[in-house]
Amino acid sequence: MAQQNEKMAYYPGCSMDGLGKAYQKSTEVVFRDLDIPMDRIKDYNCCGATEVKNISYDLSVFLPTRNLALAQEMGAKTVIAPCNGCVYALARANKTISEDSGSRERLGKYLAEADLPQYSGEVEVKHVLEVIRNSVGIEAVRSKVSKPLKGLKVACYYGCLYTRPKVYTGAGLQSGKDNPEHPFFMDELLQAAGATTVDYPVKTICCGGGHTIADREVSIGFSAAILNEAARAGADMVATMCPLGQVNIEMNIPKITEQYGAGIIRPVVYFTQLMGLAFGHSRREMAIQENLSDANGVLKRMGY
Amino acid sequence: MPIHEKSLIDGVIEKDSAVVDGVDVSGRWNTFIKERLLTDYHEDFVQEVKSLQGGKTVTNCWQCGTCTSGCCLHTDYGLREFNPRYFIYLAQTGNVDELKKYENVIWRCISCNKCVERCPKGVKVEEVVHAIDEVMRKRGLAEDTPGSRWDRTYLDNIMVTGVLDELGLTLKYVRSEKPADFTRGFMARMAFKILKNGNVRTGPIRRRTKGWKKMKKVADSILEADGYGSTK
Repeated sequence: MAQQNEKMAYYPGCSMDGLGKAYQKSTEVVFRDLDIPMDRIKDYNCCGATEVKNISYDLSVFLPTRNLALAQEMGAKTVIAPCNGCVYALARANKTISEDSGSRERLGKYLAEADLPQYSGEVEVKHVLEVIRNSVGIEAVRSKVSKPLKGLKVACYYGCLYTRPKVYTGAGLQSGKDNPEHPFFMDELLQAAGATTVDYPVKTICCGGGHTIADREVSIGFSAAILNEAARAGADMVATMCPLGQVNIEMNIPKITEQYGAGIIRPVVYFTQLMGLAFGHSRREMAIQENLSDANGVLKRMGY
Repeated sequence: MPIHEKSLIDGVIEKDSAVVDGVDVSGRWNTFIKERLLTDYHEDFVQEVKSLQGGKTVTNCWQCGTCTSGCCLHTDYGLREFNPRYFIYLAQTGNVDELKKYENVIWRCISCNKCVERCPKGVKVEEVVHAIDEVMRKRGLAEDTPGSRWDRTYLDNIMVTGVLDELGLTLKYVRSEKPADFTRGFMARMAFKILKNGNVRTGPIRRRTKGWKKMKKVADSILEADGYGSTK
């Protein structure tokens, strides 16, 4: 197994200890099965997502920088984040610090004031999906599968900030990164797990998660578009890779059913949950029952 | 006529008696450009946007419209008034009167960053649009919007312990904004499901980030320098 020697720090992000616990549990199991170490950054703080930067630029860089500095202190070369928003915020801070000398100077001052180690942008930021695909490889995943997801049609939903924008995340510019416009890493992994992935046009559309409550119309519209296109492509379920996207779509399901009918509703699960099922774990272990949408029916029909 | 001048055409204009260079042009006109004065344009507007860290790249824009053609809100959702290219154009020319018409549209940007991804000139469109929104609010041209209130509620929430408390944030925002479909029944059903699974971190079981106090002090000083005031 191609094991990386570099140490990787795991930045869970706030959601993984809150609404995204099912994602955390399933990610832990998948990492254990694939021998990927999970060293959590102790005492991490919120990365500021896309909200804080609308109020204060410096703070929106400072919050993720603290996490990156802590990761560097752990001796890590890479930070793994499971959430698209976190990947964006961390990568943005990284880029700002390594390329903008003015910001670096100011950030250095702030870090010193808060008694934190200095940081100058050497740590690489990766999404859990990229780590699973690149550090272990598709073949290794395939060899682990004991209960292939035969016949399950999955629509892979990547969401917006996973590879975008390339100026921050380096997607399409560096090796080991996904294609920014047509991502395919999740499709590859789930195909290796035995599932059939469907091709549908809104893989990287926004889910409206940034304004789930602030702008209901837009949030419901985008969630409905994702479910509708997935249903049109014949998918049994939608697989996500971001706790915000997952919870946003699930929270909108009652309203979507009301407005557009129950015909387009598909259960939403995390891609790690599907991988765990294929690795032979039970639905309970994968915390399927904790999702707000009900995927148990479909999975029971498939024999899980 | 270049499309970016559309703000100057205001429907059908009737001129009872108008003479230009000795020619009588009175009548109904559908492409009559409104008279405008140089003083209607606020040249310092773009400078103020540029002075913000997020708006640094506003002057790189050469108006190709790639951002708008791919914009999730404009194209996929169909909110045609949301046009980032046009907002940047208005900011560049300092056409504040026209920009003011969009005060209830600009905040709806959901930060999906497709525009930043695709921009051939390296304009950080999404950040620039938010910077324009910020300058407008600073100058008193726009009121607080649900978007800006949401951002503020979020910031106040994470500043308490350093990590986000989703349930607390939702409750606080819903209580003050009262979105129509967040009824008591819906909230209760969601809360029951979430509490049943223990996927929650609110109240006494809320985890605190160690060393957050020191961090908060620095964060507060940053916010104060940015003119935000202190967080609760």
